Amino acid sequence: MLPFLARACWRKLWTLFLISIVSFLVIHLAPGAPSQIDPMNPRFTKEQLTRYRAAFDLDKPLYVQYGLFYQRLFTGQLRSFKDNQPVLPKIAQRARNSFPLFVVGTVLVWCFAFPLGIATAIRRDSWFDRAMTVLVFALISVPGFYLSYLAIIFVVETFQVDVIGIQTFGRDPTGSWTQVMDRTWHLVLPSLLGATAGIAVLSRYVRSQMLEVLSSDYVRTARAKGLPEDDVLYRHALRNGLLPFVTMLGLLIPGVIGGSVIFETIFAWPGIGRLSYEAILARDYPVVIALNFVAALLTVVGTLLSDVLYMLVDPRIRL
Amino acid sequence: MTSQPRGESPGRVAWRAFRRNGPAVVGLTVVLGFFLIALAGIALTKGARPVLDPREVRLPDRLQGPFARPNKESVPAASWPRLGVYLFGTDELGRDVFARMLEGAFVSLSVGFVAVGLAVAIGIVAGGLAGYYGPVRLRVGPLRLLTVDTIITGLIDVMLSFPAFFLILTVVAILKPSIWNIMIVIGLTSWEGPARFVRAEILSLREQEFIQAARAGGARGWRVIARHLIPNALAAVLVSATLGVAAAILTESSLSFLGFGVPPPDATWGNILADGKRYIFDAPWLTLIPGTAILVVVLAFNLFGEGLREAFNPRLRER
Amino acid sequence: MRLTKMLLLAAPTLVSLVLLQSYFWVPTFENQARGDPGRLTRFISSSIGDAVYLNPTISADSASSEIDLLVFDGLIDRDLDLSFRGRLAESWQIFEEAYLFADPALRLPDGTPAAPEALLARLRASQAAGAPALQAVEAMTVLPAETSTVQIAPPAPARRPGAAAPPAPPPISVGVRRPPRLKFTLRAVDQDFFVNLDRLLGGYVEKLDRLRYVTAPDVATARAAAETHVHPTEENPVIVFRLRRGVRFHDGRELTAKDVRVTYETIMEPRSLSPRVPDFEPIKTVETPDPYTVRVTYKELFQPGFESWSMGILPAHLVSREALAAEARAAGKDPATFSVRDSGFNRRPIGSGPFRFAAWESDVSIRLVRNEDYWKGPANFREYFMRILPDVLTSEVAFYAGTADGYGAQAHQVARLQNDPRFHVNSILGLGYTYIGYNLRRPLLQDVRVRTALGMAIDVDEIIRYVLYRQGQRTTGPYPQQTAYYDPDVTPLPHDPAGAERLLNEAGWRKNAQGILEKDGKPLAFTLITNSGNEERQAIMVIAQNAWRRLGVKVEVLSLEWAVFIRERVNKLDFDAVVLGWAMGLDADIFQIFHSSQTGPQQLNFVGYANPRADELMVRIRREYDDARQTAMARELHRLIARDQPYTFLYVRQALSLLDGKIVRMVRRPDGTPEYLPFEPNRLGRINFHFDQWLKTPRPVLPPFRPELTAG
Repeated sequence: MLPFLARACWRKLWTLFLISIVSFLVIHLAPGAPSQIDPMNPRFTKEQLTRYRAAFDLDKPLYVQYGLFYQRLFTGQLRSFKDNQPVLPKIAQRARNSFPLFVVGTVLVWCFAFPLGIATAIRRDSWFDRAMTVLVFALISVPGFYLSYLAIIFVVETFQVDVIGIQTFGRDPTGSWTQVMDRTWHLVLPSLLGATAGIAVLSRYVRSQMLEVLSSDYVRTARAKGLPEDDVLYRHALRNGLLPFVTMLGLLIPGVIGGSVIFETIFAWPGIGRLSYEAILARDYPVVIALNFVAALLTVVGTLLSDVLYMLVDPRIRL
Repeated sequence: MTSQPRGESPGRVAWRAFRRNGPAVVGLTVVLGFFLIALAGIALTKGARPVLDPREVRLPDRLQGPFARPNKESVPAASWPRLGVYLFGTDELGRDVFARMLEGAFVSLSVGFVAVGLAVAIGIVAGGLAGYYGPVRLRVGPLRLLTVDTIITGLIDVMLSFPAFFLILTVVAILKPSIWNIMIVIGLTSWEGPARFVRAEILSLREQEFIQAARAGGARGWRVIARHLIPNALAAVLVSATLGVAAAILTESSLSFLGFGVPPPDATWGNILADGKRYIFDAPWLTLIPGTAILVVVLAFNLFGEGLREAFNPRLRER
Repeated sequence: MRLTKMLLLAAPTLVSLVLLQSYFWVPTFENQARGDPGRLTRFISSSIGDAVYLNPTISADSASSEIDLLVFDGLIDRDLDLSFRGRLAESWQIFEEAYLFADPALRLPDGTPAAPEALLARLRASQAAGAPALQAVEAMTVLPAETSTVQIAPPAPARRPGAAAPPAPPPISVGVRRPPRLKFTLRAVDQDFFVNLDRLLGGYVEKLDRLRYVTAPDVATARAAAETHVHPTEENPVIVFRLRRGVRFHDGRELTAKDVRVTYETIMEPRSLSPRVPDFEPIKTVETPDPYTVRVTYKELFQPGFESWSMGILPAHLVSREALAAEARAAGKDPATFSVRDSGFNRRPIGSGPFRFAAWESDVSIRLVRNEDYWKGPANFREYFMRILPDVLTSEVAFYAGTADGYGAQAHQVARLQNDPRFHVNSILGLGYTYIGYNLRRPLLQDVRVRTALGMAIDVDEIIRYVLYRQGQRTTGPYPQQTAYYDPDVTPLPHDPAGAERLLNEAGWRKNAQGILEKDGKPLAFTLITNSGNEERQAIMVIAQNAWRRLGVKVEVLSLEWAVFIRERVNKLDFDAVVLGWAMGLDADIFQIFHSSQTGPQQLNFVGYANPRADELMVRIRREYDDARQTAMARELHRLIARDQPYTFLYVRQALSLLDGKIVRMVRRPDGTPEYLPFEPNRLGRINFHFDQWLKTPRPVLPPFRPELTAG
């Protein structure tokens, strides 16, 4: 067990090193200028353009930039090009905003995907299974922003209520409970739309996992022994079929700072996704690199955790 | 593979299973139909005097609904649509949406295919190398530190760690969106799937008897991989390629939504949809038509891919 | 087991119920205004992008400026009719100080040496005799001679491509000897003062040769030193602002002349990298003789500089060099590299404007509350929010849902929204114009008749009707129509294809067998380009191509990605004709766009327009401080440019905005009862000119405000 853990950690460290290089290099594929330089502005002279460039430290050699960048990142000195704010607190603050979306989204995914996957597996090849298959794939196949637009317009036109942002903007804080509910309402659409793809994908995994278990020997044996069908399904099959999904808990970790660029832009949600998009638009290199790096870092941590969980769940891997 | 019935090739078995899967067959039909439309699209909309001109601007006829007839007083006869009506309406410049959708079909299709082609090609090479030459250690100076497998799986890990869409967005934003850049970037960021399939398949096959025999018989290196291993891994690759095309078309539309998609004059369904959003209340067809078209085609690819997966997977096929 | 089955069904149901019931706590569009009195005291605007720096000296984006305008006050601003009015400055005075070398080594025409006393005596006599050149002079004094040594950087040696920059050679010392000078104080700025004086003194002024006053090792250095350090004549316009007393910053400190000076210094500090440097560069000194007087002296005559004093004034006690150094030390940073860009001030600004900054949540909103101590009295709205809504559709939906009070409508929506009783639609002439520019270096396009004919072939009204949905107006020249500089008597080119053909025939172009116009065997063929991504310009390009094709002109069109378009084509002057637009300022200065000295690569007169009379006018307009004279010259310039047609001037777009119908303009009568007034935009099109009088009511009290929509 320990050697396995050590090996896994070593590999992840190696991956992290590669990640730090890749995420840094990606940015330097092409030169870019801060977004506010507009060559057609009659009042903006060439001298100023040069001054802007020099101030943004883009003229140093690449490896120096790499060293400086990670040194500053780890010492908390890294600042955004755009507004001079420190990068890590900025990311942390946005992650806090994305967090409720992540939680509600995950709850929705797990609450809907498992029943759906199990039901379709049990009623395999029935009209229900076929219809759900098509529905689930339709959810994967629809462009997210298209579905969001339809949903937003439908809700706003029908119910005349606000759905954009974290809460009904400009409202008096009439009472904490009302405010909580108002915020909850504003979570519904973005988290549901963000969860659709997750529900669809996970329910397919659950379905195929269940199908494998249902065709395994011990389920057949249990059936042959004449156990009631519910017993077979919900006690024996389910437990074994769903055990592997415990490992998915590890993969949730990167979600904590991951927000969808598309949904957060549409719903004006001030989370990580918005931050990424705004940073890309402004060629705000420090933020873009840091976001890529932190996201990759958390993914690596997540997969490590998931490997460990897998090892705990499935003893066969302890070689 | 060990349990195949005598006298029937695995392909034929799979086809029989596939044919029984209703949604998958419908999916295949739509996919084939989409190919025909895309081909018809080039025939009808390209050239100096196309039958249906997607670039003809008729300002007096802007934002006309589906099935509208041209305004014969202010639009010169030479500009009237060849069909006599605007089948899908017109956009903000009076261009025929039907012609634009036809033109876009081919572009969208080629974005999907080129991107996935690239991903699969890289995936097969990388996966093949990792699977076949995996244990070979590379000489770095006097040391033999890294095996081929370590490097390639390391790279796969790195690619998997990045948030894929954000990475694509970053690179496209830096490189300037162009149709080739988008295809290449999507391709370069989605080869991990095929690579892992090929590697896993080869690892499981390489110890089997017929491969051992081939090697003992003197066949070496790539010829062994090419002749025996790849065809066996192809089923898995085919499945992931089909799903990959669907994902690439969706990714392109998301990029378009964020303003980083295929730039004009190339029309893709993604950018027709993204451009239409400004007019959603005044000309909803500009959103609904391309949105629904994308949904249908991507759904078809997904159902087809899923059907293939089930058909090729003996355990899911049984019963 | 039962439990498992139940759980699988109960969990999704329960979660859905919990989420969906929250709907009943959310107010509808109507209830937001009726059930919530607080909402009526808040104004919510929306913006596509977030602000960057809330500091008028360094911000460069529209979201930041929107907030800057409310938090900070400038010395002056524009009134309803666009004339200047005082804000922080109660009054101001503009006059001129001029200097002239009195060099005894030179002689006046009658043979007397031009010693200072002699010169002074002669001028006093002329003034007493009523010489018109000296009419405006209030005082004349003599300043003593001076000598000094200045350091001149020698010209940098040529740098070989690829090689590292060679070390800069050491500066050369140059001796400068300045003779005694006469100082004139003029009541008003007179750009012809020295011209007239020269005439009076029989050519004396012309004879002053800069090179005589420097001693340098070589001619090149002498020339460089003379250029920058010797000014035989000097004209320094002076603006004296008298500040309003008792105006306080939001933190209670009184605003004084020192704050104005420090604001200027902040802009000019190189580390601030301020985008406003070009506006303040022509200033020589900013002095503060007493706490309520600011004396600004300019290096040269530069009338457009006056308007830049409408910029917000920063509090000296927070952004002065010492304050920044203290802030840097407190934060553990190096004061030597710490600039105003690093200061926390930009995230929580303190100004003296009608609203004070309260909170800024990045990418969500900026919240301001009204300044109860504002010198003009508090505004009606208690709070001002700027929401950030990054998506066009989302911001429209937020407006319909009642969570934004304003929305920048698009032209195609006006027809639908115009008659909706819930909203006010405002459509006011904008400040930018769109044009087709011709490269006048191309032989084909050099003939004004060809350019005029090309302009006459285009049906601009059709463009306004179909491309702009009637939300635009024709324009004939380089000035905004709201200003007096625009000459309303210039008639637009008629849409007259037949006339255009006649004009081309007159210029020697005849149709050949293929129907293409030809002259001396050469076809009239060129390429029209624009940037991709701008639908409007694409449409114009196509319309022009069609119109010109009918005339017999062979036109290729091409749209290029913005960076390529600007860098490879426009900046390198590699084009025949372009469709482009200019955003205009309100001043009469168009030197950079039309002066013949600005025709090089990377410069803004990329069409290469050159007309000696226009050049002269543009220089004089910059230097003219008298409104009437400046207007007359600007109108002449407008006529000249309209005649020369370096551009085909197309149209000015209407700026559109949409307001919740419950927004009203309310003032209190002396007896305290409310009076509702119609919205009154200023001539600039700012609908919120009277923003301090705006308020939201539970239901519309006035018929929706409908400005006349201009038909195309």
